Amino acid sequence: MLKIENKADIFHYRTLLFILVLSILTLLSRYFYLQVIEYERYSSKSQVNSVRAQATYAPRGLILDRNGVVLVENYPTYILTVTPYELDNKEVQFQIISDITDISIDELFRRYKKYNQGRFLPTVIAKNLTFAEISQIEERRLELSGFQYKRFDERLYNDALKDAHFLGYLRELDRESIPFLDKSQLYRAGELIGWQGLEKQYETELRYSKGIKYIEVDTYGREINTINDNNIPAYPGKNLTLSIDSKLQQFSKNLLIDRKGVILVSNVDSGDILSMVSNPSYNLDIYRGETTDSDWSNLLSDDDKPIINRNIAGLYPPGSSFKIITAINLIEDGLLDPGDSLMCTGSYIPPGSSNTFNCWKEDGHGLVDLNKAIAQSCNVYFYETIQLIKLSDWTKTAKIFGFHNKTDIDLPNELIGQIPDKEFFINTYGRWGWSERGVLLNLTLGQGDILVTPLQSLRYINHIASKGRTAKLKLNVNKKVEYYDDIILSEQTWDRVIKGLYDVVNAEGGSGWRAKQSEVKLYGKTSTAENPHGEPHAWFNGFFDFEGQTYSLVILVENGGGGGAVASPIAGEIVRFFTNEQVEMVNK
Amino acid sequence: MTFFNNYIYRSNKYLGKLYLIVLSLITFGLITLYSISSDPLSINSSFMRQLVFIIFSLFVFFILNQVNVKTIHDNSTLIYIISFLLCFVPFFLTPVENTYRWIDLGFFYIQPGEYLKCATIIIIAKYLSNHHLEVKEGYIVFIPILIALLSSFLVLNQPDLGTAVIIFAPVLPMMLWAGVNGFTLFLLIAPVITIIAASNNIIFNIWGVLMFIIFMTFQGSLLKRVLIYFANIFTGLLFPFFWNDFLNGYQRQRFIDFLSPDLDPMGSSYHIIQSITAIGSGGMFGKGWGQGSQTQLKFLPVQESDFILSVIAEEFGFFGIAVIMFLFSMLIKTLLDIAFKSSDYFSSLVIIGLTSILFSHIFVNSAMTIGLIPVKGLPTPFVSAGGSFMLLCFIMLSLVSNLSKN
Repeated sequence: MLKIENKADIFHYRTLLFILVLSILTLLSRYFYLQVIEYERYSSKSQVNSVRAQATYAPRGLILDRNGVVLVENYPTYILTVTPYELDNKEVQFQIISDITDISIDELFRRYKKYNQGRFLPTVIAKNLTFAEISQIEERRLELSGFQYKRFDERLYNDALKDAHFLGYLRELDRESIPFLDKSQLYRAGELIGWQGLEKQYETELRYSKGIKYIEVDTYGREINTINDNNIPAYPGKNLTLSIDSKLQQFSKNLLIDRKGVILVSNVDSGDILSMVSNPSYNLDIYRGETTDSDWSNLLSDDDKPIINRNIAGLYPPGSSFKIITAINLIEDGLLDPGDSLMCTGSYIPPGSSNTFNCWKEDGHGLVDLNKAIAQSCNVYFYETIQLIKLSDWTKTAKIFGFHNKTDIDLPNELIGQIPDKEFFINTYGRWGWSERGVLLNLTLGQGDILVTPLQSLRYINHIASKGRTAKLKLNVNKKVEYYDDIILSEQTWDRVIKGLYDVVNAEGGSGWRAKQSEVKLYGKTSTAENPHGEPHAWFNGFFDFEGQTYSLVILVENGGGGGAVASPIAGEIVRFFTNEQVEMVNK
Repeated sequence: MTFFNNYIYRSNKYLGKLYLIVLSLITFGLITLYSISSDPLSINSSFMRQLVFIIFSLFVFFILNQVNVKTIHDNSTLIYIISFLLCFVPFFLTPVENTYRWIDLGFFYIQPGEYLKCATIIIIAKYLSNHHLEVKEGYIVFIPILIALLSSFLVLNQPDLGTAVIIFAPVLPMMLWAGVNGFTLFLLIAPVITIIAASNNIIFNIWGVLMFIIFMTFQGSLLKRVLIYFANIFTGLLFPFFWNDFLNGYQRQRFIDFLSPDLDPMGSSYHIIQSITAIGSGGMFGKGWGQGSQTQLKFLPVQESDFILSVIAEEFGFFGIAVIMFLFSMLIKTLLDIAFKSSDYFSSLVIIGLTSILFSHIFVNSAMTIGLIPVKGLPTPFVSAGGSFMLLCFIMLSLVSNLSKN
């Protein structure tokens, strides 16, 4: 209980009560005046002359390649909308629309329900109206109150590149998806939004900014007058210029005809990706207009998975290119003098085991030093030397090169692959179901439980080509050049590895001799990755200097066979493209 | 002891009535929000969000109900300082809609300026109750006004003119309730009326004469009265300069809109015109629930918070407005009753302060929707959508319930 008594005065109480009553009566009388006395005036005003704010649109930004070739542009189509509130007789009117457009009345009602945004807002029920359909709707306008056709821009892809996964696509928003968007207040059901690939990644830049137009409308929502003051104009989206060279992209794609696989080409100095092919692919036009459910399910159920961008979401064992990881561990930790030679007899029996591990060359390579082991991809050399390395050190080195991590490329849905560590093996095989020495025999060859994406492989070869300081991979040519964490190794280690890669292509007996070019020095590593799906995957990872810039490439032919026989010639073709088409490359 | 029991019973009877009124208002608000949400049952609709805010606020209400009045009384300075410092937090965060009013808590925004209103009332009530023997002296008004000025100045910099003005609303009623001299109070109101009157020459002259008569009827030193009178007149004359050089463009625009809403229908008077059209077209019994074309066609801006009364007026007509105005009157009347019956001075003053805040929100919001005063972003208690203010209303309710239990 507080000490001072309430001293409230009945006079003060009445004063405040008086003010209350007076104020409420003032408000009520004004309401009464507006609602009862002036009712007629406002009622007709609300019916006849209503000012409505209408969203206006501008085109979405274009997507161009590095030389200004238009890859994605806008294509005007006409859509039909219906405003529930303005309908006279739903069944009859829908039947008329069904007759005009050849869309079944059930389908029309399904769309009407699915995209409905409320009684007073237009709902899209048909797309890609033809000129004939528009004129029929116009003729029967009086019967069709509530229906309106509007211009609606869709995406048009460059014919040559309409199967490029990285471009991505737009999707029409339905009501359920909107609350999950980042900036949901900017979007309305029925609008298009970048849903995959670059269209999604750069949605904010590519998207137009909506404007507002004030119009006077009558009871039926028909525009009777435009008011020009205070309108907010719509602005088009920004164009996006890619680092992709569409000629190289097309050239690369042709090298993979009838093959599954990937070709990646990048500029090591800037991180720009010049070509990113993933085969098989599919036609992006499927996202335009109306796609039937069966087209969709065919695409989704295809065993070759054309819908996946293999560059960022395909997971493969890397094969022998991972021998470099072992080599780096050996030299960097001083475990072995690179000049020391070992004897390859064609097979290897680990100490205390009865299993025999074979070299790919059955007769053996004879005396092998590190350089020859890389150049000729000798398995026995790496079987023997991996015995000197701990699993944790090996894992650490692999992860430093960016494996088991995103490359941070400007594309959504990138996978990170897998570099197995001790914890992984314990979880997978139990505490006693594996041995460190045993799994390392597999890992040193890039086999076993390792999975990498081709893009990670590209990052790996870029790290080597630039001796540790490497620009982040990117597709937007105007994105600022950023760098991955520096990889600090001794100069000797880099030199040894790079010499090894040089000999793979250029020395006698090198596994990548088919890629050799006379004009350009190409460095690389072939891989032949065994896998459970059939023939081995053929890889070639490499880099070369051209006109003062360093370029890198990754070739992967799924189930293609040997890396030397299948992937190396393709690498050679790519290098020849540069020497033949030099003009294009030097420009940027 | 009998008297004490009797008293508890009586004050709880008032509380019961208060809760019933609040419940009705909340229900009315939810029904209206349901009607304007295009998909009321989705988690993002204003209806569902409001429901979540109410449940959360009820939770806070029950927790705060455990706090003793004495704790509030003894820590009033601390409460004020904390609320004051909270108002600085938004200046260190990213601005929301170019203002520094809000703190983003992830699931909703809170507006520390709102809580400063409560804290200001509590500290003024404590000052007045501590100096209850001096209320007849003129100087008693200075400290409460200084406190209100301090709070108001801070909020004005966020910038939030609406809240800054509302902070002053409880000061006069509280001083009146405390028993401050009538002439002193008149001296306080006079400059405000002078400024408003200064907008029109004829009104200003009438007010000058009226003020002169009032000044002459009161007692005291003639010199003092004459000086104060002329100070007032000068304020009125200087006001136009203040108007032109001190106020922001949009603040001036709001006053201009208020004075002539029909001049520029597509300009910033758009809100008032749309609101009045919605209200007027509602008629006696309204267009029906969910049938308001002005509302549903989204002509009406910020309809779920600032203009919710216009939605009610359009869909439920004058009848609906009369019901809601009756509920508001009963809310304020019951609060006045509780303040009047309250056993101690401090509690009584706090309740009067809170009542003034609620009433000014109700009055300003309704008057705005019908074009009686400029557009102000002030929500209606218990009815408008909005988490921060709903929470504040329940905090005020729990204060009232605590204070009346004493």
